[in-house]
Amino acid sequence: MIKLNDIKSILIIGAGGGLAKLTASLIAQKYPEISIHGVDPRDTDFLIRKENIKYQRMKYTRGNFERLFRDNSFDMVLHLGRLSHSASDTASLTKRLDLNLMGTSKILELSLKHKIRKVLIMSTYHVYGALHDNPVFLDEESPLKASIKYPELRDVVEMDQIATNWMWKNQNEIETIVLRPCSIIGPQIKNTMSQYLTTPYVPVPIDFNPMFQFIHEFDMAKVIIKCLDKVPTGIYNVAPDEIIGLNEAKEHLDIPFIPAPIFLLEQAAKIVKMAWNFPDYFINYIKYSCIIDNSELKKHIGEEFCRFGPKDTLELLKLD
Amino acid sequence: MLDKLFKTFTLSESEKKKFKKIEAALDERYPIGEDPWGLNVNKAKKSLQKIYPIYKHYFKSRVFGKENVEDKPYMVVANHTGQIAIDGMLLSTSFVTDVYPPRILRPMVERFFTALPFVAPWAAEGGSVLGDRTNCLKLLKKGQSILVFPEGVKGITKSTSEFYKMKPFTRGFFRMCAATGTEILPVGIVGAEEFFPYVYHPRKIAKLFGLPGLPLSANYFPLPSPVDIHIGKPFKIPEGLDQDSPDKDIDEQVFQVEKLIKDLVEEGLEKRRPFWANAVGPKK
Repeated sequence: MIKLNDIKSILIIGAGGGLAKLTASLIAQKYPEISIHGVDPRDTDFLIRKENIKYQRMKYTRGNFERLFRDNSFDMVLHLGRLSHSASDTASLTKRLDLNLMGTSKILELSLKHKIRKVLIMSTYHVYGALHDNPVFLDEESPLKASIKYPELRDVVEMDQIATNWMWKNQNEIETIVLRPCSIIGPQIKNTMSQYLTTPYVPVPIDFNPMFQFIHEFDMAKVIIKCLDKVPTGIYNVAPDEIIGLNEAKEHLDIPFIPAPIFLLEQAAKIVKMAWNFPDYFINYIKYSCIIDNSELKKHIGEEFCRFGPKDTLELLKLD
Repeated sequence: MLDKLFKTFTLSESEKKKFKKIEAALDERYPIGEDPWGLNVNKAKKSLQKIYPIYKHYFKSRVFGKENVEDKPYMVVANHTGQIAIDGMLLSTSFVTDVYPPRILRPMVERFFTALPFVAPWAAEGGSVLGDRTNCLKLLKKGQSILVFPEGVKGITKSTSEFYKMKPFTRGFFRMCAATGTEILPVGIVGAEEFFPYVYHPRKIAKLFGLPGLPLSANYFPLPSPVDIHIGKPFKIPEGLDQDSPDKDIDEQVFQVEKLIKDLVEEGLEKRRPFWANAVGPKK
């Protein structure tokens, strides 16, 4: 198995994101001999430069990716550039499908062609879907049912499937890790869940109280690094052991919220969606639990991989 | 009259004292307040304070065979009666308030139940979980006791003519016990069928609407029929059986468990207290 000590360079796709910035900083600090090349279509001028980190603003096109792989020699690729629903608007649905599906395929194809030694792809626990008949602790073999009710999650599920099919097909030539983390929250993360938890006066269902797993951005970045170093090819759920109910999480954050029955929220979401982008699938995630099993990951990185429990994580979110 | 009604639905002073002891024992047994399945011990304790007067004063519940219960995890298997799952609520209450040491049973519920607003989270806070094999195995491995009604929904959709006639048991619960070596605790519940004494299920119409049952009842509020809970001796899983044993071998054991519960029910019917609605059920 390839280790971080054996490599010279890493490519980070989606380097402008909060988690990518944190991961890059941690790798740069711990492995100063590794050169990190970050690419992102967003403005990269504001990103903190270090001696061994180079950022490049780059439009995600086939030609640009081909040039990037041709002109550089990478040992590992971190694909953290999945375009989430919160970051896009309805007009960019095609863009999301293009990047998440075509983009991922292209990145994987180029990784194989240019003899990359290890690829890590960031998927999400959303692929399992939040359904009322979900068992508690969904393992990696559980069916991906997210798009049954909400077709807009198709790109998330299909991206995961493209990555996992490719992973098994090429397992003898390239090490691949697909991570499905629970809700990542932290001051630098701007995903739907972080926004939902920190926005005052958002509706909270009074008739459902799903359980949640939250992982702090710092813990998640450390998990990524451990995966690059210790984890063999495979799919891994990433979540802490501790869980928290939505009502308790909201109370813990001490932010005023509006209690409302879920059927009202579902109708309101449809109306809101007409005016501006709102991921209405998210309603299901605040209605039913989607708790994932972390035992497969623990076999490789040990029991204690999270420094922050859910309450500490929420506390840190509050400080932001 | 109002005073009597108030007493029926509130805890007496001696019961309040008893509750303090129970709550202390629960805090010791469940140090983490909330679990991944949604059990919230603090909220469960509050609900219990409201349910207990109904359990004790309205349904006048009695428990027999407490001495058969040891301090270890069990698969509690009972007959299902009474149109809505009040029997499950009463049985769960008995294991916290009348059985020592107190424990929160984890009742396995049907899939449709987990989608019900208000009811599903309330039941989950009290310990209920989706009746799924993954959940069952993980809870048993964590040392929790499970409550199952292997008759399923068919058990509570009986017309008056079928009262106390048990429907065939499913095998799933036994396979879970075989996988984990958990002992089965058979329980017979008597008195719950008379909550709704005159009831008829037009099965063809219910099937037409895709419903598990369509109770046409003389009353839709449960009558105060006295309930007796009979706990039998634990049933050990015979050696050589496991989760993947053939149906034939499993069926033999399931039949034995069914027989044990049938005997407990029959014994209960002989001992039951007088209630006018007893006349509509079996004569024993």
